[in-house]
Amino acid sequence: MVKISINGKPIEVNEGTTIFRAAEQAGVPLPHLCYHAAFVPEGSCRICLIEIEGLPKLELACATVVREGMKIATESASVREARRSVLEFLLAEHPLDCPICDKAGECKLQNYYQDYGLTESVFREAKKKREKKVNIGEKLILDRERCILCTRCVRFLAEVTKTHELGVFERGLRSEISTYNGEFVQNGYSGNLVDLCPVGAITDVEFRFKTRPWFLVKGESICPLCSRGCNIYVDYHPGFPRVPGSAKVYRIRPRKNEAVNGHWLCDSGRYGFVDREFRNRCEKLVWKKGEKEIPLSWDKILMLLAEKIMSLHFMKKTDRIGLVLNTGLTNEELFLIKKIFRDDLNVGKIFFVDPQAGAGDGFLLQAERSPNARGAREVGFDIRSVRPAELAGIKILMIFGQFLTNVHSLADLKLALDRIETKVLVTSRSGGLESLVDFVLPAAVVAEKAGSLTNADGRIQKFRPAVVPCGDIRPEWNILVELAKELKLNSGYYGRFSEAEAVFKELSRERPFFGTPT
Amino acid sequence: MSRSAKILTQFFGMENLFQIEVYLEQGGYQAVKKTLAEWKPEEVLKEVKEASLRGRGGAGFPAGLKWSFVPSKTDKPKYLCVNADEGEPGTFKDRYILSHNPHLLIEGIIIASYAVGIHAAYVYIRGEYEVLAERLEQAARNAYEKGFLGKNILGSGFDLEFFVHLGAGAYICGEETALLESLEGKRGNPRLKPPFPASVGLFQCPTVVNNVETLANVPFILLNGASRFLEQGLSRDGGTRIFSVSGAVNKPGIYELPVGTNLREIIFNQAEGLKSGKKLKAVIPGGMSSPILKADEIDISMDCESLAAAGSMLGSAAIIVIDDETPILEVLKRVAKFYAHESCGQCTPCRLGTSWIEKIVRRMAEGKGERGDVDNLLRLAENIKGRTLCPLGDAAALPVLSIVKKFREELETSLLA
Amino acid sequence: MSSEFSPELRKKIDEVLARYPKKPAAILPVLHLIQNERGFISTEDEKRVAALLEIKPIKIREVVTFYTMFFRKPIGKYHLQVCSNLSCSLAGGEKIVEYLKNKLGLQNGETTPDGRFTFSEVECLGACEHAPCLMVNFDYYGNLDKEKIDRILGSLD
Repeated sequence: MVKISINGKPIEVNEGTTIFRAAEQAGVPLPHLCYHAAFVPEGSCRICLIEIEGLPKLELACATVVREGMKIATESASVREARRSVLEFLLAEHPLDCPICDKAGECKLQNYYQDYGLTESVFREAKKKREKKVNIGEKLILDRERCILCTRCVRFLAEVTKTHELGVFERGLRSEISTYNGEFVQNGYSGNLVDLCPVGAITDVEFRFKTRPWFLVKGESICPLCSRGCNIYVDYHPGFPRVPGSAKVYRIRPRKNEAVNGHWLCDSGRYGFVDREFRNRCEKLVWKKGEKEIPLSWDKILMLLAEKIMSLHFMKKTDRIGLVLNTGLTNEELFLIKKIFRDDLNVGKIFFVDPQAGAGDGFLLQAERSPNARGAREVGFDIRSVRPAELAGIKILMIFGQFLTNVHSLADLKLALDRIETKVLVTSRSGGLESLVDFVLPAAVVAEKAGSLTNADGRIQKFRPAVVPCGDIRPEWNILVELAKELKLNSGYYGRFSEAEAVFKELSRERPFFGTPT
Repeated sequence: MSRSAKILTQFFGMENLFQIEVYLEQGGYQAVKKTLAEWKPEEVLKEVKEASLRGRGGAGFPAGLKWSFVPSKTDKPKYLCVNADEGEPGTFKDRYILSHNPHLLIEGIIIASYAVGIHAAYVYIRGEYEVLAERLEQAARNAYEKGFLGKNILGSGFDLEFFVHLGAGAYICGEETALLESLEGKRGNPRLKPPFPASVGLFQCPTVVNNVETLANVPFILLNGASRFLEQGLSRDGGTRIFSVSGAVNKPGIYELPVGTNLREIIFNQAEGLKSGKKLKAVIPGGMSSPILKADEIDISMDCESLAAAGSMLGSAAIIVIDDETPILEVLKRVAKFYAHESCGQCTPCRLGTSWIEKIVRRMAEGKGERGDVDNLLRLAENIKGRTLCPLGDAAALPVLSIVKKFREELETSLLA
Repeated sequence: MSSEFSPELRKKIDEVLARYPKKPAAILPVLHLIQNERGFISTEDEKRVAALLEIKPIKIREVVTFYTMFFRKPIGKYHLQVCSNLSCSLAGGEKIVEYLKNKLGLQNGETTPDGRFTFSEVECLGACEHAPCLMVNFDYYGNLDKEKIDRILGSLD
């Protein structure tokens, strides 16, 4: 351990720690543009220069390793002047684009200017004109006037994806970031460049001009599009969409987790998320009787369903109950299903239908395109699929999710489902199955509920609701608890589950795997 | 030997000295023979350290000390990179060594490599010196033929491979870490120090980077001893320097003189004063990157310490003489243009600062200067100084600061005109 | 479309590659060889060099555009590089620059229509004792005045 002091406060850090990290630990965050925790220090932006007692020049915090007894000052007059001058230099050639730049509101240059700049411009010369709309990827646009040449983008493609699509051409002020002959950045992780760029030089075509970061609320969740379980931020507008038809959720961004996804997201998840989770939502409880739709409330449907289930139970005919699940359900939900249907009701016909597997990319994206298959197995399920013919003889069918239509044709399904007396669809999405069932129950997506998922490595990741759901939407765990209470087989047991966390505690008591802290 | 002995340029007048037979006739390669036969590597290192041989590229760092930073025990190969990227404006001394006496350089390289345990030397020559690079390659081929390079040199068991590597037009590649980057096949972007090349250098291996003139001094030190070398100088630093004198003088050219020779003497005696009866206005003493001296500041000893004490530097010992008919704005214009053109562009203060300074100075030279421009130049230069990734920032800032401070009145007068 | 490297050129390139423990270090000498023969570095040649050195073509272009002595387009048969730095300007270099520009009708970086001359203002050439200086391809000329320039241009076919 090394003892140093930062702004007079003593602190002890591991040997080999840089001043930058030591300052972080001491709660003194330092400005930085070219520095990124995932890369080797670059030392080119010069904004992290700090003062070390006894040394004549200011030194880089990002690249200087602490030594015993070092006295570091991060707010002295010379440090503040150095920071101000770096900003002044950058702004000299920076376009006045803030009013039209997507990054406004989350731009490091803006933020640091506010904290360390606030300097009158004395630049009277002509700024160098550069191209402002260079397509460097399917979803990426480069604005060379805004670029501050921090080279984070170049280094990401060199050190992380190792695909080198971007380079620096020319030298001096003429330096510019460029692709090779217009060959796109196309390695499955291109979207990370937008997050990495500290300014608005690299922007996302999907997000461009759509909204302002200060209108967005940031929630934390887990991406459910594969079994990696990347940690994410979900950025959304609370309340009504500002423009009719636009999605409430605007984008997701990676949430750092060294053990799961590092600092990154794959393009598949990043660009697929809003579509998969928030478009074509099912928002209303529906009871279809022939051509008519009868108004329905949660109390009513739960009572109806409980009645039908209990009548089969009294006749000892619960083998006529069938469930089609999916491995996108949370650990808590799968546990509740097991307790209610397999344990309490002795239901045997429990099947799983999931999104089709894809190709894994050897980095984050998994071949398994569902988040909780591991969780399902650890809860105690055998994951077996179903053919429509196997549904013969079922009187009550509960289907979770619309995935059946991925695997079987509507015609085949209609044949099988028409013979079933009571069909309940619990789904977050609108889709073809609604026309084949009696009851449609709108369910929450992962980002809207509390719970946990088990990723491919067996890591249990808990999450709380990031987005508030609208309409009649409820999380499945809550639907199941209320149904169980209505069944009155074990009300005392289920009555305790007012929070998803309570379900998890019970789950971890019963299945030791879930008792492992992550 | 007398104090005015020429260490480096002794035989420069001789034609065809670059041919190995001619060189051998003058006693060439005796130093190599003596060293390999009679000295252990650590003894060579000690002698060069005792001679306090300062680097002659510009930084003036003691060569022996630099060599001693290379770890003696390492399982990585070690390299010597010879900095022949002579790009400091006003400097042309290494060009003379390369063209007139390349074998002296080769000798110095062999002895230095022997001292440090290096078995591969790369000479990085600026691209414009292509003709000289060919001459050096031919000289090396002849040296190989005579057994002075290659395996088991003169039966000593010491191996050294020698390569010439041509640059392609970038002043920044004269900075030692940018030179290494360029040699490795990349853009000439300087590296962060630490680590220093002595531990992490060419191909991540321990490397010594030395200037041509520095290495050319090594044979003398080995043949005559450290004290003899020290005696050649007039100040504490020993030896001679090849001064490149140019500008408004009657006899521009190279002058090998003892370290510590008076600047006035060099300008008015050796170079025979200002031409066409002009008067002296200012002198740049150590290459464009060194702070300027006014006409009344030239009674100064040309050695590192004296010039540093006067707020300037010996640098590459390139003396540029400016006459009083040259507007100082013209000088400032060339200075500003040069560094903006040569900035590698990596770090913020240099990339943006040098170009901003150039734009201001150009506007002033076009007669569109404004009040506040002069103060701005000072402020911008102060904000580049000491804040950049490599010394080019200081090289860009210090001349601007010295010119503006010392000739402020003239600059401001020209603004009003 | 430029042709593949001739066997002679390949042989020179292989000889150069042998000088370095890592292939990419040969970029500068290989580019010099190609430009000396072909006058410039084309996109196809960038890709050929990249394949030989086992690196990506973008790395070649990064180098070609960084160094002032490499060109991505053909230049004139004679590249007239006039020093515009301090010592040369102190010796009247600016007049030489203007004279040449007017005589050839070129601005900095331009080539005559007949493809004979390209004119560039360059930085210090390292021959300040012969200021003002000019480099034609790799040949140095110093102590220039208008007559000397006329003679030099006249001697270039």
